[in-house]
Amino acid sequence: MAARPVRRGLGLLLVSGSLVALVAWAVTFSGSVSDDEPVRSFRLTPAATASAAPTPRPTAVVDVPVASASLSTLSLPVSTPPARVQIPEIGIDMGVLPVGVKTDGEMEVPDDPSVAGWYRWGSDPRSGAGSTVIAAHVDSLRYGLGPFARLRDLVPGSEITVIGSDGGSHLYRVDGLSAFAKDALPAAELFERSGPSRLVLITCGGTFDETALTYSDNVVVTASPVL
Amino acid sequence: MKKTILRGAVVGAAASLALAGSPAFAISGTSADLSVLHAIPDTPVDVWVNGELTLDDFAPGDLAGPLDLPAGAYSIVITAPDATDISSPVIGPVDVTLAANTSYTAVAHLTEAGEPSATLFTNDLSTTAPGEGRLTVRHTAAAPAVDILAGGTAVVSGLVNPKEASLDLPVSTVSAAVALAGTTQPVIGPADVPITEGTNTIVYAWGSAEDGNLALAVQTISGLHSSPDGVNTGEAGLAATGGSSPLLALAALVGILAVGATGAALALRRAPSTGR
Repeated sequence: MAARPVRRGLGLLLVSGSLVALVAWAVTFSGSVSDDEPVRSFRLTPAATASAAPTPRPTAVVDVPVASASLSTLSLPVSTPPARVQIPEIGIDMGVLPVGVKTDGEMEVPDDPSVAGWYRWGSDPRSGAGSTVIAAHVDSLRYGLGPFARLRDLVPGSEITVIGSDGGSHLYRVDGLSAFAKDALPAAELFERSGPSRLVLITCGGTFDETALTYSDNVVVTASPVL
Repeated sequence: MKKTILRGAVVGAAASLALAGSPAFAISGTSADLSVLHAIPDTPVDVWVNGELTLDDFAPGDLAGPLDLPAGAYSIVITAPDATDISSPVIGPVDVTLAANTSYTAVAHLTEAGEPSATLFTNDLSTTAPGEGRLTVRHTAAAPAVDILAGGTAVVSGLVNPKEASLDLPVSTVSAAVALAGTTQPVIGPADVPITEGTNTIVYAWGSAEDGNLALAVQTISGLHSSPDGVNTGEAGLAATGGSSPLLALAALVGILAVGATGAALALRRAPSTGR
Protein backbone atom coordinates (compact mmCIF):
# COMPACT_ATOMS: atom_id res chain seq x y z
CA MET A 1 0.00 0.00 0.00
CA ALA A 2 1.17 3.42 -0.86
CA ALA A 3 0.25 4.81 2.54
CA ARG A 4 2.54 2.50 4.46
CA PRO A 5 5.86 4.26 3.89
CA VAL A 6 4.18 7.53 4.63
CA ARG A 7 2.74 6.16 7.85
CA ARG A 8 6.10 4.69 8.77
CA GLY A 9 7.67 8.08 8.18
CA LEU A 10 4.99 9.73 10.22
CA GLY A 11 5.53 7.13 12.92
CA LEU A 12 9.23 7.89 13.00
CA LEU A 13 8.43 11.56 13.18
CA LEU A 14 6.02 10.94 16.03
CA VAL A 15 8.55 8.80 17.85
CA SER A 16 11.32 11.32 17.46
CA GLY A 17 8.92 14.05 18.40
CA SER A 18 7.92 12.31 21.56
CA LEU A 19 11.55 11.63 22.36
CA VAL A 20 12.22 15.31 22.24
CA ALA A 21 9.15 15.92 24.36
CA LEU A 22 10.23 13.19 26.77
CA VAL A 23 13.72 14.64 27.10
CA ALA A 24 12.26 18.07 27.53
CA TRP A 25 9.84 16.76 30.15
CA ALA A 26 12.59 14.86 31.93
CA VAL A 27 14.75 17.96 32.07
CA THR A 28 11.86 20.03 33.30
CA PHE A 29 10.81 17.36 35.76
CA SER A 30 14.24 16.85 37.24
CA GLY A 31 14.62 20.57 37.47
CA SER A 32 11.35 21.03 39.25
CA VAL A 33 11.77 18.31 41.84
CA SER A 34 15.45 18.29 42.63
CA ASP A 35 16.94 20.95 44.82
CA ASP A 36 20.41 19.71 43.98
CA GLU A 37 20.21 20.52 40.29
CA PRO A 38 21.56 23.89 39.25
CA VAL A 39 18.73 26.19 38.28
CA ARG A 40 20.85 27.99 35.72
CA SER A 41 20.21 25.49 32.91
CA PHE A 42 16.51 26.38 32.87
CA ARG A 43 16.85 30.10 32.57
CA LEU A 44 17.03 29.97 28.81
CA THR A 45 13.63 28.24 28.63
CA PRO A 46 11.19 30.64 27.00
CA ALA A 47 8.52 32.06 29.28
CA ALA A 48 5.30 30.00 29.48
CA THR A 49 3.15 30.67 26.45
CA ALA A 50 -0.04 29.16 27.85
CA SER A 51 -0.50 31.92 30.37
CA ALA A 52 -3.02 34.53 29.27
CA ALA A 53 -1.88 37.00 31.91
CA PRO A 54 0.75 39.53 30.71
CA THR A 55 4.23 38.55 31.84
CA PRO A 56 5.52 41.07 34.38
CA ARG A 57 8.63 42.99 33.37
CA PRO A 58 11.59 41.40 35.09
CA THR A 59 13.88 43.57 37.17
CA ALA A 60 17.65 43.59 36.83
CA VAL A 61 19.24 40.77 38.83
CA VAL A 62 22.27 42.73 39.98
CA ASP A 63 22.91 46.37 40.71
CA VAL A 64 25.49 47.36 38.09
CA PRO A 65 27.12 50.78 38.30
CA VAL A 66 26.25 52.77 35.18
CA ALA A 67 27.82 56.09 34.27
CA SER A 68 28.15 58.34 31.27
CA ALA A 69 31.13 57.49 29.09
CA SER A 70 31.38 61.10 28.01
CA LEU A 71 34.91 62.38 27.56
CA SER A 72 34.01 65.46 29.61
CA THR A 73 33.96 63.26 32.73
CA LEU A 74 37.74 62.83 32.49
CA SER A 75 40.48 65.01 33.89
CA LEU A 76 44.06 64.53 34.98
CA PRO A 77 44.30 63.73 38.70
CA VAL A 78 45.32 66.61 40.92
CA SER A 79 47.97 66.09 43.57
CA THR A 80 49.28 68.22 46.40
CA PRO A 81 53.07 67.94 46.16
CA PRO A 82 55.07 68.08 49.39
CA ALA A 83 57.12 71.28 49.51
CA ARG A 84 59.23 70.73 52.65
CA VAL A 85 60.23 67.91 54.94
CA GLN A 86 61.16 68.79 58.52
CA ILE A 87 62.76 66.49 61.10
CA PRO A 88 63.79 68.79 63.99
CA GLU A 89 65.28 65.90 65.97
CA ILE A 90 68.10 65.52 63.45
CA GLY A 91 68.17 69.09 62.21
CA ILE A 92 66.51 68.50 58.85
CA ASP A 93 64.41 71.22 57.18
CA MET A 94 64.72 70.90 53.45
CA GLY A 95 62.88 71.74 50.27
CA VAL A 96 61.13 69.03 48.23
CA LEU A 97 60.64 69.01 44.47
CA PRO A 98 58.35 66.74 42.41
CA VAL A 99 60.38 64.16 40.46
CA GLY A 100 59.68 61.20 38.18
CA VAL A 101 62.02 58.60 36.76
CA LYS A 102 65.20 58.89 34.73
CA THR A 103 65.57 57.25 31.33
CA ASP A 104 67.23 54.25 33.00
CA GLY A 105 64.06 53.63 35.02
CA GLU A 106 65.51 54.76 38.36
CA MET A 107 63.80 57.38 40.47
CA GLU A 108 64.93 60.90 39.71
CA VAL A 109 66.68 62.57 42.67
CA PRO A 110 67.72 66.25 42.80
CA ASP A 111 71.51 66.64 42.30
CA ASP A 112 71.83 68.79 45.41
CA PRO A 113 71.63 66.55 48.50
CA SER A 114 70.06 69.42 50.45
CA VAL A 115 66.98 69.18 48.20
CA ALA A 116 64.71 66.11 48.31
CA GLY A 117 62.57 64.66 45.52
CA TRP A 118 58.96 63.57 45.93
CA TYR A 119 57.88 60.74 43.58
CA ARG A 120 55.17 62.59 41.70
CA TRP A 121 53.47 59.48 40.23
CA GLY A 122 52.79 58.07 43.67
CA SER A 123 50.69 59.24 46.59
CA ASP A 124 50.96 62.56 48.39
CA PRO A 125 49.97 63.26 52.03
CA ARG A 126 46.47 64.23 50.91
CA SER A 127 45.85 61.11 48.78
CA GLY A 128 44.34 59.24 51.69
CA ALA A 129 46.13 56.02 50.74
CA GLY A 130 49.53 54.66 49.81
CA SER A 131 53.11 55.81 50.20
CA THR A 132 54.36 59.36 49.91
CA VAL A 133 57.92 58.65 48.78
CA ILE A 134 60.62 61.29 49.32
CA ALA A 135 64.25 60.60 48.44
CA ALA A 136 67.46 62.60 48.60
CA HIS A 137 71.11 61.97 47.85
CA VAL A 138 73.12 61.11 50.93
CA ASP A 139 76.08 62.95 49.43
CA SER A 140 77.46 64.43 46.26
CA LEU A 141 80.91 64.94 44.79
CA ARG A 142 79.93 68.55 44.15
CA TYR A 143 77.91 69.42 47.25
CA GLY A 144 79.32 67.08 49.92
CA LEU A 145 77.34 65.33 52.62
CA GLY A 146 73.58 65.94 52.65
CA PRO A 147 71.01 66.13 55.47
CA PHE A 148 69.60 62.66 54.68
CA ALA A 149 72.92 61.19 55.90
CA ARG A 150 71.37 61.74 59.34
CA LEU A 151 68.28 59.61 58.66
CA ARG A 152 70.20 56.73 60.25
CA ASP A 153 69.90 58.53 63.59
CA LEU A 154 66.11 58.30 63.58
CA VAL A 155 64.42 55.89 65.93
CA PRO A 156 60.85 54.58 66.06
CA GLY A 157 58.64 57.37 67.33
CA SER A 158 60.73 60.19 65.87
CA GLU A 159 58.54 62.92 64.39
CA ILE A 160 58.61 64.04 60.77
CA THR A 161 56.56 66.89 59.33
CA VAL A 162 55.76 67.23 55.65
CA ILE A 163 54.54 70.64 54.50
CA GLY A 164 52.41 70.50 51.37
CA SER A 165 52.50 73.00 48.52
CA ASP A 166 49.12 74.16 49.80
CA GLY A 167 50.71 75.03 53.16
CA GLY A 168 49.10 72.05 54.89
CA SER A 169 51.16 70.40 57.63
CA HIS A 170 51.27 66.60 57.97
CA LEU A 171 52.83 65.01 61.04
CA TYR A 172 54.27 61.48 60.89
CA ARG A 173 55.90 59.23 63.45
CA VAL A 174 58.70 56.86 62.45
CA ASP A 175 57.74 53.19 62.40
CA GLY A 176 61.09 51.78 61.41
CA LEU A 177 64.44 52.21 59.76
CA SER A 178 65.68 49.63 57.27
CA ALA A 179 68.53 49.01 54.88
CA PHE A 180 68.18 47.00 51.72
CA ALA A 181 70.87 45.92 49.28
CA LYS A 182 70.07 48.08 46.25
CA ASP A 183 69.27 45.16 44.01
CA ALA A 184 66.85 43.87 46.65
CA LEU A 185 64.96 47.11 47.27
CA PRO A 186 61.27 46.14 47.52
CA ALA A 187 60.27 49.02 45.26
CA ALA A 188 56.79 47.71 44.48
CA GLU A 189 55.95 47.66 48.18
CA LEU A 190 57.71 50.91 49.08
CA PHE A 191 55.97 52.77 46.23
CA GLU A 192 52.58 51.15 46.93
CA ARG A 193 49.74 53.51 46.02
CA SER A 194 46.95 51.75 47.90
CA GLY A 195 46.66 50.65 51.49
CA PRO A 196 47.35 52.78 54.55
CA SER A 197 48.78 56.28 54.16
CA ARG A 198 52.42 56.50 55.12
CA LEU A 199 55.62 58.36 54.48
CA VAL A 200 58.70 56.64 53.02
CA LEU A 201 62.07 58.42 53.07
CA ILE A 202 64.86 56.90 50.99
CA THR A 203 68.57 57.61 50.75
CA CYS A 204 71.78 55.61 50.39
CA GLY A 205 74.04 53.91 52.86
CA GLY A 206 76.10 50.83 53.49
CA THR A 207 79.48 50.34 51.93
CA PHE A 208 80.76 52.47 49.08
CA ASP A 209 82.11 51.18 45.80
CA GLU A 210 84.82 53.67 44.89
CA THR A 211 85.01 52.41 41.32
CA ALA A 212 81.32 52.61 40.49
CA LEU A 213 80.80 55.53 42.92
CA THR A 214 77.71 53.92 44.39
CA TYR A 215 76.60 52.73 47.78
CA SER A 216 75.66 49.14 48.47
CA ASP A 217 72.37 49.86 50.24
CA ASN A 218 69.27 51.99 50.35
CA VAL A 219 68.39 53.34 53.78
CA VAL A 220 64.62 53.49 54.16
CA VAL A 221 62.58 55.22 56.86
CA THR A 222 58.88 54.42 57.08
CA ALA A 223 56.50 56.59 59.09
CA SER A 224 52.78 56.66 59.76
CA PRO A 225 50.56 59.72 59.95
CA VAL A 226 49.77 61.02 63.42
CA LEU A 227 46.02 61.50 63.40
CA MET B 1 79.18 54.55 66.42
CA LYS B 2 76.30 55.72 64.36
CA LYS B 3 76.98 53.41 61.50
CA THR B 4 76.77 50.38 63.73
CA ILE B 5 73.61 51.70 65.31
CA LEU B 6 72.11 51.80 61.86
CA ARG B 7 73.10 48.19 61.27
CA GLY B 8 71.40 47.13 64.46
CA ALA B 9 68.36 49.24 63.85
CA VAL B 10 67.93 47.54 60.52
CA VAL B 11 67.64 44.19 62.23
CA GLY B 12 65.10 45.57 64.66
CA ALA B 13 63.06 47.45 62.12
CA ALA B 14 62.95 44.84 59.39
CA ALA B 15 60.40 42.82 61.29
CA SER B 16 58.17 45.79 62.01
CA LEU B 17 58.21 47.06 58.45
CA ALA B 18 54.76 46.08 57.34
CA LEU B 19 54.65 46.22 53.58
CA ALA B 20 51.81 44.86 51.58
CA GLY B 21 50.43 44.69 48.09
CA SER B 22 51.62 44.26 44.56
CA PRO B 23 51.70 46.72 41.70
CA ALA B 24 50.37 44.29 39.13
CA PHE B 25 46.73 44.75 38.22
CA ALA B 26 44.96 41.62 39.35
CA ILE B 27 41.25 40.79 39.17
CA SER B 28 41.21 37.26 40.57
CA GLY B 29 42.33 33.80 39.65
CA THR B 30 38.73 32.70 39.24
CA SER B 31 36.84 35.69 37.91
CA ALA B 32 36.80 38.21 35.08
CA ASP B 33 35.74 41.84 34.83
CA LEU B 34 33.10 42.70 32.25
CA SER B 35 32.09 46.24 31.35
CA VAL B 36 29.38 47.03 28.84
CA LEU B 37 29.22 50.10 26.60
CA HIS B 38 26.09 51.13 24.73
CA ALA B 39 27.33 52.71 21.52
CA ILE B 40 24.25 52.60 19.30
CA PRO B 41 22.75 56.06 18.96
CA ASP B 42 19.21 57.02 19.98
CA THR B 43 17.78 53.78 21.43
CA PRO B 44 17.90 52.58 25.03
CA VAL B 45 18.21 48.79 25.30
CA ASP B 46 18.06 46.00 27.84
CA VAL B 47 21.09 43.73 28.28
CA TRP B 48 20.56 40.13 29.33
CA VAL B 49 23.34 37.87 30.56
CA ASN B 50 22.53 34.15 30.58
CA GLY B 51 18.86 34.98 30.17
CA GLU B 52 18.78 37.32 33.17
CA LEU B 53 18.03 40.99 32.81
CA THR B 54 21.29 42.64 33.83
CA LEU B 55 21.04 46.20 32.50
CA ASP B 56 17.59 47.77 32.35
CA ASP B 57 16.95 50.77 30.07
CA PHE B 58 20.63 51.10 29.26
CA ALA B 59 21.11 54.48 27.56
CA PRO B 60 23.32 55.23 24.54
CA GLY B 61 26.70 56.60 25.56
CA ASP B 62 26.57 54.94 28.98
CA LEU B 63 29.16 52.55 30.37
CA ALA B 64 28.19 49.88 32.87
CA GLY B 65 30.37 47.86 35.17
CA PRO B 66 32.72 46.39 35.72
CA LEU B 67 30.80 43.28 36.69
CA ASP B 68 32.91 40.73 38.54
CA LEU B 69 31.88 37.41 36.92
CA PRO B 70 33.15 33.89 37.50
CA ALA B 71 35.29 32.86 34.53
CA GLY B 72 33.33 30.78 32.03
CA ALA B 73 30.87 30.88 29.16
CA TYR B 74 28.15 33.51 28.95
CA SER B 75 25.37 34.30 26.55
CA ILE B 76 24.68 37.99 26.06
CA VAL B 77 21.44 39.20 24.45
CA ILE B 78 20.40 42.76 23.76
CA THR B 79 16.69 43.50 23.43
CA ALA B 80 14.38 46.46 23.11
CA PRO B 81 13.90 48.16 26.51
CA ASP B 82 10.32 46.90 26.87
CA ALA B 83 11.14 43.22 26.26
CA THR B 84 9.92 40.75 28.86
CA ASP B 85 12.36 38.05 27.78
CA ILE B 86 15.10 37.33 25.25
CA SER B 87 12.85 35.81 22.58
CA SER B 88 13.17 38.86 20.30
CA PRO B 89 16.82 39.91 20.43
CA VAL B 90 18.03 43.07 18.74
CA ILE B 91 21.57 41.69 18.99
CA GLY B 92 22.63 38.16 19.86
CA PRO B 93 22.64 35.82 21.51
CA VAL B 94 26.39 36.45 21.57
CA ASP B 95 28.23 33.59 23.20
CA VAL B 96 31.44 34.61 24.91
CA THR B 97 33.99 32.89 27.11
CA LEU B 98 35.50 35.03 29.83
CA ALA B 99 38.94 33.99 31.10
CA ALA B 100 39.99 34.48 34.70
CA ASN B 101 41.99 37.57 35.65
CA THR B 102 41.03 39.27 32.39
CA SER B 103 39.14 42.48 31.75
CA TYR B 104 36.63 42.72 28.92
CA THR B 105 34.38 45.37 27.48
CA ALA B 106 31.35 44.25 25.50
CA VAL B 107 30.26 47.01 23.14
CA ALA B 108 26.86 47.22 21.46
CA HIS B 109 27.59 49.28 18.38
CA LEU B 110 26.97 49.79 14.69
CA THR B 111 28.98 48.02 12.01
CA GLU B 112 30.63 50.01 9.27
CA ALA B 113 27.43 49.42 7.26
CA GLY B 114 25.26 50.71 10.11
CA GLU B 115 23.87 47.39 11.39
CA PRO B 116 23.55 46.74 15.14
CA SER B 117 26.30 44.45 16.36
CA ALA B 118 28.27 43.56 19.45
CA THR B 119 32.01 43.16 19.97
CA LEU B 120 33.85 41.80 22.97
CA PHE B 121 37.15 43.61 23.47
CA THR B 122 39.89 42.37 25.80
CA ASN B 123 41.36 45.25 27.78
CA ASP B 124 45.15 45.47 27.98
CA LEU B 125 46.09 45.37 31.67
CA SER B 126 49.83 44.99 31.19
CA THR B 127 51.85 47.35 33.36
CA THR B 128 52.87 50.75 32.08
CA ALA B 129 56.26 52.36 32.60
CA PRO B 130 56.58 55.02 35.33
CA GLY B 131 55.37 58.35 34.02
CA GLU B 132 53.32 56.80 31.23
CA GLY B 133 49.73 55.91 30.54
CA ARG B 134 48.09 53.89 27.77
CA LEU B 135 45.78 55.21 25.07
CA THR B 136 43.58 52.62 23.37
CA VAL B 137 41.35 53.61 20.47
CA ARG B 138 38.46 51.46 19.24
CA HIS B 139 36.51 51.96 16.04
CA THR B 140 32.87 51.11 16.78
CA ALA B 141 31.20 53.61 14.46
CA ALA B 142 29.27 53.28 11.23
CA ALA B 143 32.12 54.80 9.28
CA PRO B 144 34.94 53.63 7.01
CA ALA B 145 38.60 53.27 8.01
CA VAL B 146 39.90 56.16 10.11
CA ASP B 147 43.16 57.65 11.30
CA ILE B 148 43.59 58.75 14.91
CA LEU B 149 45.32 62.08 15.21
CA ALA B 150 47.15 63.33 18.29
CA GLY B 151 48.10 66.98 18.09
CA GLY B 152 47.21 66.91 14.39
CA THR B 153 49.53 63.99 13.55
CA ALA B 154 48.30 60.49 12.75
CA VAL B 155 49.32 58.11 15.56
CA VAL B 156 47.09 55.27 14.34
CA SER B 157 46.39 54.74 10.63
CA GLY B 158 43.69 52.84 8.80
CA LEU B 159 41.73 51.63 11.83
CA VAL B 160 38.56 49.77 10.73
CA ASN B 161 35.38 48.81 12.58
CA PRO B 162 35.55 46.85 14.97
CA LYS B 163 39.32 46.99 15.52
CA GLU B 164 41.47 48.67 18.15
CA ALA B 165 44.97 50.07 18.51
CA SER B 166 46.90 51.20 21.55
CA LEU B 167 50.04 53.05 22.47
CA ASP B 168 51.75 54.06 25.69
CA LEU B 169 52.35 57.79 26.05
CA PRO B 170 53.95 60.09 28.63
CA VAL B 171 51.45 61.64 31.02
CA SER B 172 49.88 64.59 29.22
CA THR B 173 46.67 65.86 27.77
CA VAL B 174 46.43 64.71 24.17
CA SER B 175 44.42 66.68 21.65
CA ALA B 176 42.84 63.72 19.87
CA ALA B 177 40.82 63.70 16.67
CA VAL B 178 39.42 61.13 14.27
CA ALA B 179 39.76 61.65 10.52
CA LEU B 180 38.88 59.46 7.58
CA ALA B 181 41.93 57.34 6.70
CA GLY B 182 44.53 59.30 4.79
CA THR B 183 43.04 62.69 5.66
CA THR B 184 43.65 65.18 8.45
CA GLN B 185 40.24 66.89 8.49
CA PRO B 186 38.62 65.70 11.76
CA VAL B 187 35.23 63.99 11.60
CA ILE B 188 35.32 63.76 15.42
CA GLY B 189 37.11 66.23 17.69
CA PRO B 190 39.69 67.40 18.34
CA ALA B 191 39.00 66.68 21.99
CA ASP B 192 41.27 66.75 25.02
CA VAL B 193 42.06 63.26 26.29
CA PRO B 194 44.00 63.12 29.56
CA ILE B 195 46.66 60.38 29.61
CA THR B 196 46.91 59.46 33.28
CA GLU B 197 49.85 57.60 34.77
CA GLY B 198 49.26 53.86 35.07
CA THR B 199 45.84 54.10 33.42
CA ASN B 200 44.52 52.59 30.20
CA THR B 201 42.30 55.29 28.70
CA ILE B 202 40.09 53.61 26.12
CA VAL B 203 38.44 55.91 23.60
CA TYR B 204 35.60 54.68 21.39
CA ALA B 205 34.58 56.32 18.15
CA TRP B 206 30.85 55.57 17.87
CA GLY B 207 27.69 56.67 16.13
CA SER B 208 27.08 57.02 12.43
CA ALA B 209 28.83 59.17 9.85
CA GLU B 210 25.70 59.10 7.67
CA ASP B 211 23.46 60.28 10.50
CA GLY B 212 25.95 62.93 11.57
CA ASN B 213 26.14 61.70 15.16
CA LEU B 214 29.72 60.47 15.40
CA ALA B 215 31.02 60.90 18.93
CA LEU B 216 33.66 59.75 21.40
CA ALA B 217 33.05 57.63 24.47
CA VAL B 218 35.69 56.86 27.05
CA GLN B 219 36.49 54.18 29.61
CA THR B 220 39.44 54.14 32.01
CA ILE B 221 41.14 51.27 33.82
CA SER B 222 43.64 52.39 36.43
CA GLY B 223 46.18 50.53 38.54
CA LEU B 224 48.52 49.45 35.73
CA HIS B 225 51.43 51.51 37.08
CA SER B 226 54.86 50.14 37.92
CA SER B 227 57.46 51.46 40.34
CA PRO B 228 60.92 52.87 39.67
CA ASP B 229 63.67 50.30 39.12
CA GLY B 230 65.69 51.71 41.98
CA VAL B 231 66.80 54.76 43.91
CA ASN B 232 70.43 55.75 43.53
CA THR B 233 71.17 58.44 46.08
CA GLY B 234 74.87 58.92 46.62
CA GLU B 235 78.14 59.21 44.77
CA ALA B 236 80.86 60.44 47.13
CA GLY B 237 81.23 57.76 49.78
CA LEU B 238 81.09 60.31 52.59
CA ALA B 239 78.38 58.38 54.41
CA ALA B 240 79.78 54.90 53.89
CA THR B 241 79.75 52.44 56.76
CA GLY B 242 82.63 50.56 55.18
CA GLY B 243 84.84 50.86 52.17
CA SER B 244 87.87 49.66 50.35
CA SER B 245 90.03 50.13 53.41
CA PRO B 246 90.42 46.78 55.21
CA LEU B 247 90.74 48.63 58.51
CA LEU B 248 87.41 50.42 58.02
CA ALA B 249 85.77 47.20 56.92
CA LEU B 250 87.08 45.42 60.01
CA ALA B 251 85.86 48.25 62.24
CA ALA B 252 82.42 48.00 60.69
CA LEU B 253 82.37 44.24 61.14
CA VAL B 254 83.31 44.49 64.79
CA GLY B 255 80.60 47.10 65.19
CA ILE B 256 78.00 44.82 63.64
CA LEU B 257 78.95 41.99 65.96
CA ALA B 258 78.80 44.30 68.97
CA VAL B 259 75.34 45.55 68.04
CA GLY B 260 74.19 42.04 67.28
CA ALA B 261 75.27 40.95 70.74
CA THR B 262 73.63 43.78 72.60
CA GLY B 263 70.46 43.44 70.61
CA ALA B 264 67.62 45.68 69.62
CA ALA B 265 67.66 47.78 72.78
CA LEU B 266 70.99 49.24 71.80
CA ALA B 267 69.98 49.33 68.18
CA LEU B 268 66.95 51.45 68.88
CA ARG B 269 68.73 53.65 71.39
CA ARG B 270 67.85 57.24 70.75
CA ALA B 271 70.76 58.83 68.96
CA PRO B 272 71.81 62.29 70.09
CA SER B 273 70.41 65.10 68.05
CA THR B 274 73.01 66.46 65.76
CA GLY B 275 71.43 69.88 65.60
CA ARG B 276 72.33 72.17 62.79
